[in-house]
Amino acid sequence: MQKQEAEKQFEKHIREHELLLHKVCRMYAYTNADRQDLFQETVIQLWKAFPAFKGDSKLSTWMYRIAINTAITRLRKQKNFITSYEPNGFPEQASDDSTGVMEEEKLQQLYKAIEQLNEIEKAIIMLYMEDRSYLEMEDILGINEGTLRVKMNRIKEKLRQLTKTY
Amino acid sequence: MELDDLKNTWQQLPPQKNINTDIMEIIQQKSYGPLAALKKAFRKQIVLMFLLPFFLLFANAENMQGALTSILFWCYVAFCIYIIVSAYYNYSIVSKMENMDAMVKPKLEQEIQLLEKRASWEVTSLRVILLVFIVLLEVVPYVQHYSMLDKWHSLPVGIRVVAYAVLLLLHFFFSKRIKQRKVGRHLDYLKELLKQMQ
Repeated sequence: MQKQEAEKQFEKHIREHELLLHKVCRMYAYTNADRQDLFQETVIQLWKAFPAFKGDSKLSTWMYRIAINTAITRLRKQKNFITSYEPNGFPEQASDDSTGVMEEEKLQQLYKAIEQLNEIEKAIIMLYMEDRSYLEMEDILGINEGTLRVKMNRIKEKLRQLTKTY
Repeated sequence: MELDDLKNTWQQLPPQKNINTDIMEIIQQKSYGPLAALKKAFRKQIVLMFLLPFFLLFANAENMQGALTSILFWCYVAFCIYIIVSAYYNYSIVSKMENMDAMVKPKLEQEIQLLEKRASWEVTSLRVILLVFIVLLEVVPYVQHYSMLDKWHSLPVGIRVVAYAVLLLLHFFFSKRIKQRKVGRHLDYLKELLKQMQ
């Protein structure tokens, strides 16, 4: 009974923040199958860690930590086995009807540029785009705020340069 | 391109299609990750090493007394115990690494430290095993007679010493390569990630 309740509670939490997981999968997985695997593995890791979650940090912070840790530690294995890289592996549907074509193009450019970033830069830019505060980023990544700000400026510049080439 | 202009669109991205998001179904499944696979391998190693001495006794059922008084048999048992302890040690290290609920940078630092500790422990313990093996080869014939060791002991001492030295030298040269093959690539990857965080 208790287990069932925990499962229900867990499912509710995941549903509330499901988009967060999809974004991490888009960032770190290269094919549809890979994204499915990463989504599944992340949910399993979240479920394993769920009994120890006491609410000391925000649920989203906790989820980001586990999702990023899972993504970057499994990546080195997956990269070796990629046989069919999908270069446009980022959103299959980048925008809904209300989003302008120009904005969608810009977003596609951004995704292409993000693919050139290293794993940590990807995490930082993702959290930035999600409007997470530097304090929360520090809580997720363990990098101090000062370093994060410097890194963020460098990443922005890097993306500017990269998007110019596309 | 200004990132801030795209934030809104980014945040409203729809979930991906073609992904099974049945949470209840997913949590019933086992982790397929590299750490889970390692733990499974260590568990198998423990069970196998526990059973092997019994298989040996079973195989020598007709001469059980002989097997039980054999130094080599007990050396083998000691070796199995050592492998079990070693596998358990590795298992506990991997269990510590499994904790994903930690800040990314400290987790990477911890993982690197644990893996380096494990790798150097393996190299040292293999060296100890080799030394024990050499000592046994030399000492056992004085305590118990084994026909398979007669040929070895019929060789001049000098040749035997050279052979042991070659064995130790080979270990010295190959241990680095073995370490690199086992955890080196992963360690390099983790160190690269850590460097990216500086």
